[in-house]
Amino acid sequence: MPKLIIDDIEVEVPAGTSVLEAARSVGITIPHFCYHPALAIAAACRLCAVKMLDGPVKGIQMSCALPAQDGMVVSTTDPDALKMRKLVIEWLMINHPHDCPVCDEGGECLLQDFTIAGGHGIRRYQGKKRTHVNQYLGEGIYHEMNRCIQCYRCVRFYQEYAGGTDFGVTGCAGRVYFGRFDDGPLESPFSGNLVDICPTGVFTDKTGRFRARYWDYQYAPSICPHCSAGCNLSPQAYHREVIKIVARRNDEVNGWFICDRARFDKSDLNDPLRPRQALVDGSPVEWEAALNALATRLREFVQSHGADSLALVGSTRLSLEAGILLAELAARYKGVRLCYFIDPAEAQLSLSKVEWVPAGMAASQAELREADFIAILPCDLMEESPMIALAIRQAFVKGAKVYLVAPHLTALNLERLPFQVQVVPELADVPLGEAKRGIVVAGAGFADLKGLEAVPTGVKFVLLQPGPNSFGAALLAREYRAVPLREAIASGKVKGILALETDLPEELRQGLTFFAAADWRNNGAAEPASVFLPTSAWAETGGTWINYEGRAQRYRQAYKTGLPLRGLPARYYGSQEAEPPAHPPRVHRAVAPGGDTRSAWMLVAELIFKLTGEPAAEPYAGKWAPLKHIDPEGPGMRLPAELLAG
Amino acid sequence: MEQVLFRHNRPDRSVTFEEYCAEGGFDALKKALTAMTPDEVQQTVIDSGLRGRGGAGFPTGKKWSFVPRNLPGPRWLICNGDEMEPGTYKDRVLLEKNPFSLIEGVTLASYALGVRHAFIFLRRDYETAAANLQAGIDAAKKAGLLGERILGTEFSCDIDLHLSAGRYICGEETALINALEGKRPNPRQKPPFPAVKGLWGGPTVVNNVETLANVPAIIANGAAWFKGLARNPEGAGTKLFCVSGSVVNPVCIELPIGTPLREIIDQACGGLKPGKKFKACIPGGASTQFLSEAHLDVPMDFDPVVKVGSRLGSGAIIVFDEGHCLVEATLNLIKFFARESCGWCTPCREGLQFVKEILERIERGGGEERDLDLLRDHTRFLSYAFCAFAPGAMSPLDGLLANFEDEVREHITRKRCPLKG
Repeated sequence: MPKLIIDDIEVEVPAGTSVLEAARSVGITIPHFCYHPALAIAAACRLCAVKMLDGPVKGIQMSCALPAQDGMVVSTTDPDALKMRKLVIEWLMINHPHDCPVCDEGGECLLQDFTIAGGHGIRRYQGKKRTHVNQYLGEGIYHEMNRCIQCYRCVRFYQEYAGGTDFGVTGCAGRVYFGRFDDGPLESPFSGNLVDICPTGVFTDKTGRFRARYWDYQYAPSICPHCSAGCNLSPQAYHREVIKIVARRNDEVNGWFICDRARFDKSDLNDPLRPRQALVDGSPVEWEAALNALATRLREFVQSHGADSLALVGSTRLSLEAGILLAELAARYKGVRLCYFIDPAEAQLSLSKVEWVPAGMAASQAELREADFIAILPCDLMEESPMIALAIRQAFVKGAKVYLVAPHLTALNLERLPFQVQVVPELADVPLGEAKRGIVVAGAGFADLKGLEAVPTGVKFVLLQPGPNSFGAALLAREYRAVPLREAIASGKVKGILALETDLPEELRQGLTFFAAADWRNNGAAEPASVFLPTSAWAETGGTWINYEGRAQRYRQAYKTGLPLRGLPARYYGSQEAEPPAHPPRVHRAVAPGGDTRSAWMLVAELIFKLTGEPAAEPYAGKWAPLKHIDPEGPGMRLPAELLAG
Repeated sequence: MEQVLFRHNRPDRSVTFEEYCAEGGFDALKKALTAMTPDEVQQTVIDSGLRGRGGAGFPTGKKWSFVPRNLPGPRWLICNGDEMEPGTYKDRVLLEKNPFSLIEGVTLASYALGVRHAFIFLRRDYETAAANLQAGIDAAKKAGLLGERILGTEFSCDIDLHLSAGRYICGEETALINALEGKRPNPRQKPPFPAVKGLWGGPTVVNNVETLANVPAIIANGAAWFKGLARNPEGAGTKLFCVSGSVVNPVCIELPIGTPLREIIDQACGGLKPGKKFKACIPGGASTQFLSEAHLDVPMDFDPVVKVGSRLGSGAIIVFDEGHCLVEATLNLIKFFARESCGWCTPCREGLQFVKEILERIERGGGEERDLDLLRDHTRFLSYAFCAFAPGAMSPLDGLLANFEDEVREHITRKRCPLKG
């Protein structure tokens, strides 16, 4: 453990830590552009210059490329170091446009920050600026090459980290160009990370350009809803609309990056047809009135048909909190059918995958990145969970052997995988016995769990699930003896359904005498429901999801629900019944249009209160109590054994 | 004067394989393979005091000794023939006249280092030299002097000729290795040095053409003989000097190392052109500092030239007379460097562009007093670039400011180039 002194502060760091990282560990930020913790050291920008006052090396050194050693005395504020850094900024600003106010990166730009911090203000270079032609890189990313400061982060991420081949660097000297051979959409499903990784505005998110500034955003730590990997991200919202989604670091899970689906697919959240109005028999009512109607009708239904004719249905995207409260509601009506899954096969599969997780058999993405033998069972990883493939690539780059078990190879698109695989017909053909850190990866559709029993002990598993909280739903189903909805309906008794954030197939609504729904997604449930209650979407509320490995992760509310300003219907500017409003219109409201929603868990809690007159119990009590305190900005919580035990 | 590298030269053509052999060629290889261990070959080169002729002057034998012993896997030898330093054309003359000394030298070095496969990385434009080398390699192979079990011994070695795609930075050894691997010729971070981790991750030695071409004579005649060739006591061997500029007879000539600069210009090159007066010279290629008349008696060897504030470099002497504007000359060199930067690090990519702009302005008559400080900042802070390219590029500017500041200042005060009407 080398000990060194940085700016009069004594620092002790693990061997191999760079001076830059050592300084960072005591809160000293040494300016840098090309350095990125997830990428190999480039030492290209030369901004992280420090002065070595004493020790094995002397003089000006680049702190990113200098391993900390015993006896080093480092100054980050020495006049020579400051002058070097100031010159580097001046050199970079020779060609960088001076138009931050019209750049989408303005306000969250590393170059802007360090230019101001470094004190460069007056231009001494009197020549012309170099200019480049931009490329069309698809609908996700806007390319503005004139802003480039040649830190090589993009190409190092795209080629080295993500294994992409259609984007790279061409030219030399002042004509170095980062782009594709020809205009065209970037092929890598991780291309969106260029937005995050570029220290300035060369790559910006085309889906949200010029909509808001960094300081306008409401955003919070959140979790990706698109698969069971549980990647960490932050939705950035402005005026009730998610403008951008950015990756959020979690070293145990996704590291620094997210896939393009996580970043660019905001269509559900921003869908202009999202149900935002509480409805009773198809007519708009206040939220409270709809909740009263729901309580009344539920009570009447149970009285006339019996509790066992009612199904309370949650889903694999419902938060764990709402799921627990739904079970509490079910407990008030003896015989009521509680469902967290629709399909019995899916429920069975999720449950049996949960059984594999205890005893540390599940591998995180971090463990996957460090594996030495990986066997992938038939699945299209790049479609199902691209970040798992990216994690496997990191292991591959470090020398891991990757096998693809593919009895029918034609079904799989090998070319898209960002690593090389050896194709074998059977899992038994993978020499997992040689593995020190072996991992078997299976997609959500993989059902032959019996076949995994032959895998040698010590090998871990990545058993993907279909939904962001399939794992949680399976735990709930086991704990509260829930039944899959189809199974309940098959009994012939079910006559009424309350669907909570559940995508119900249309045929399951046939023949019901009572159907009520609560959702935020535009999935066709609002119209047929006799009572419909709009809920807040995942980014608009807090909650907990449990990913495939049994890691509970909390997400926070990023912004308040409401209709985005863009496309606000005219009726929100006046009353439909009253006289045409005077100008300017005066419509008094305390809640933003379309903002009269509740979180699903709150809805259930209020419903419990309405029906029983008693407040709902704290969801994180009893068995669930350990989950009460999860830091949304921490690594999440691997479920304790008592929770996993059946 | 004793010729080592040019010993076999014919005035109008390249020496043939038969002629080279008849004049004692490949005797050194035979001697080494039959009577010397690889370590003895290496020790002889260490003892000879041979220093790298590419420009840096690092002791060759010492460089070889950095290759770790008993490391599994292949090790590599690369001959750096990417001669692109402005003013330098010694390797071209050498290879166009005689490819065999190099081939023999590469084979000897491979023997000393335990290399099975060596590469000659040659500048793209050297088509005659390339054809000559390839023919030489083929002839040597046919004669059993290359390939499997050379001369019936256990030693096998092959040489591959690789033509560069053509950029100055490929002469930087780690950039050269990247280029040879098929990557962009960006230099690599050191350490690890190529001797430990180079081509395809294996231990690699990179030596200049002239350096390796010296090895056969050293092995044939011994270290003491080689040392004795020099004019100065600390020197060793001969050196190819290629002179250009304002001299009567610009030549590439082999002279004992340590020959005074004045002697090379006045005797070998016939002095300055008629009516011209010496003003300055670059002693060792574009990335060395200008020397003025006061330095003309310097012995042309590595250490003495450093003592007077420049470097021997590649031994390419460019002579300027009183009619030459040194601001313009420096600008011309900087333009070359600014264009040839690989674009990896900021100081080199942008700093050289900045220097170019300032010098252009000064030459145009738009210079300001503060530009001198700005130029000095660049000579100082460009030394913190990623590789030796930018510091090398600053050498002529450094020499300009050290020895000819008055001329630069005159441009600024008179608001025009004083040498142009």
